[in-house]
Amino acid sequence: MNNAPLHQFSTLTVILLMFAFYGGTYLLTLGIRKKKEDADAFMVSNHRVGFGIGAASMTATWIWAASFYAAATSGYTYGVSGPIHYGLWGALMILFIYPFGRRFRKLAPNAHTLGELIHARHGSSSQLILALSNLLGSIISLMVNFTAAGALVSVLSPLSFQAGVIMAGTGVLLYTLWSGFRASVLTDFAQLVALMAIAVVIIPAVFFAMGGPSELVAGLDNLSAEQANFFSADAVLNQGAPFFVAVLAYAIGNQTISQRLFAVKEEHIKPTFLTATIGYGAIVIGLGMIGLMALTLGVEPLNGDMNNLIPQMVSGYLPPVFIALFFILVIGSLSSTADSDLSALSAIMMADVYGKNIARGKANPERMLLVGRLTMIVATAIGIIFASFSLDILVMLVFVGALWGAIVFPVIASCFWNRVTNAAFTTSVLVAMLVFCVARFEWVPLSGVTGLFFEVLGSIGGGVIIGLMVFGFLGRVAGFTAGGLALVAMLIFATGFLRDYTVLLASLTAYGTSTLVCVVMSLASRERFDFDSIREQVGNYDEHIVDAESVESTKEPVPAPLATQR
Amino acid sequence: MTTLFAVYVLIWPALTLGVLVLICRAVWRDRREARRQRRSLV
Repeated sequence: MNNAPLHQFSTLTVILLMFAFYGGTYLLTLGIRKKKEDADAFMVSNHRVGFGIGAASMTATWIWAASFYAAATSGYTYGVSGPIHYGLWGALMILFIYPFGRRFRKLAPNAHTLGELIHARHGSSSQLILALSNLLGSIISLMVNFTAAGALVSVLSPLSFQAGVIMAGTGVLLYTLWSGFRASVLTDFAQLVALMAIAVVIIPAVFFAMGGPSELVAGLDNLSAEQANFFSADAVLNQGAPFFVAVLAYAIGNQTISQRLFAVKEEHIKPTFLTATIGYGAIVIGLGMIGLMALTLGVEPLNGDMNNLIPQMVSGYLPPVFIALFFILVIGSLSSTADSDLSALSAIMMADVYGKNIARGKANPERMLLVGRLTMIVATAIGIIFASFSLDILVMLVFVGALWGAIVFPVIASCFWNRVTNAAFTTSVLVAMLVFCVARFEWVPLSGVTGLFFEVLGSIGGGVIIGLMVFGFLGRVAGFTAGGLALVAMLIFATGFLRDYTVLLASLTAYGTSTLVCVVMSLASRERFDFDSIREQVGNYDEHIVDAESVESTKEPVPAPLATQR
Repeated sequence: MTTLFAVYVLIWPALTLGVLVLICRAVWRDRREARRQRRSLV
């Protein structure tokens, strides 16, 4: 089956599949549509999302099309442990953010974005840094998902790549535009049910069709020693460790996560995120196993493209109906993430840009809705254009990754430590970005004392990551202890060695530098922040209408602080 | 070894099925409660 072409659908079949998927999703949203949506519901569903919908939405959002392809690639490249080193760390991103999420929610129960909380804590410059990182992240995600749709359609049918991109972009925009986040979470549930049901069927079906466990074990001879080793150092250093470093950065830098943190009922945050962790890990690792199966069988990816591995295996071993199911699986996963990105982008523009920096506390909810919907239209257009022209976004991707790494400590510290200042936040992020660039692009040779300097910064970064993770679950003493031990271990084992892994070193350096600058500047400050004031400054927007109606004196909206200080 | 690998591969769809059932039951309960309170599920 190595040279067998992929099964091809006719143009009509693909159009019908897309029409059935997006048409069905659109019809679903008609059931919750209100003639007059309100801004808070449009952004966070009035903070009242239940456990089931919340867990489904979190899982569906976190699974994007790349999850399957990358997990299978990891299984194919790194062997037995490959799928784990992709899926496990991705799942832990959801798990490790929830302790911090509970703190965010406690500080600002009525927030819509993390940026609003940071605005109340520090002011505009810190908030806009966070908002910018969120915006770039969601635009990139949108583009990647549309690209995946184009690739899938062009690989499995005579239709062009651009046709797939446009169909996916238009379909997602159509069902998300009116009800925003409410439409996103409701459709996430339906999409996840389809996605999980298909995964439950496809993984064992391919497994037994290829010959089952005996064939898999017999094929282990095709693996290298590293690939056959469950504790492969190669897999850890090249796949697991860079992902592990990104665990907190992805979660903090991604508005789709914080939006759900602020949307789910407060008492359901923990079970929601725990369930999503298990759900994400199970689906992604499971589909990654198809990459391992391909490796043991000696399958070569078609045209050398690893993204063809799963379609090849499904196409080679299962009847065409399973390929149609796989098609829906990928379209469902990319659409659920894309609609969440549209909702996230609209919330950032509505609350962080318009609400906090243009209206400055006098936000008009109707105008906010307009801003949100226009954002969705513009973002979809940008996503389609970027995806259609296959623009190189590598540099943008590198910078966003660095920005996310640089903001982790300042954001978390700002929510727990009353001495962190706006200057400390902003300066630490900017300095960390600069130092990251020096390491990542090797502006200076990473050897001798310079190499050691960056390794020390990277070691601090490693200590910070471990320390923050432990702190989230076990508190300050355990966090400091674990962070200190990790720092010492890194200084002993990583110096003289980390410089050979530039990507990892640069990411760790961003964490270490921002922490160092933020801590030093905060310790030098005499400011003491009152965390209770955040709750007073971050409120719902639609309460303005109620207040305005009750006084019946003016049609002008009442400033947000007035609405929330009742 | 064969059993071990069978479990290693099949545990994931089994877990997925478990989570699917859990989520569906929870959504059903959410829906019932929302109807009782005469409000939208989302």
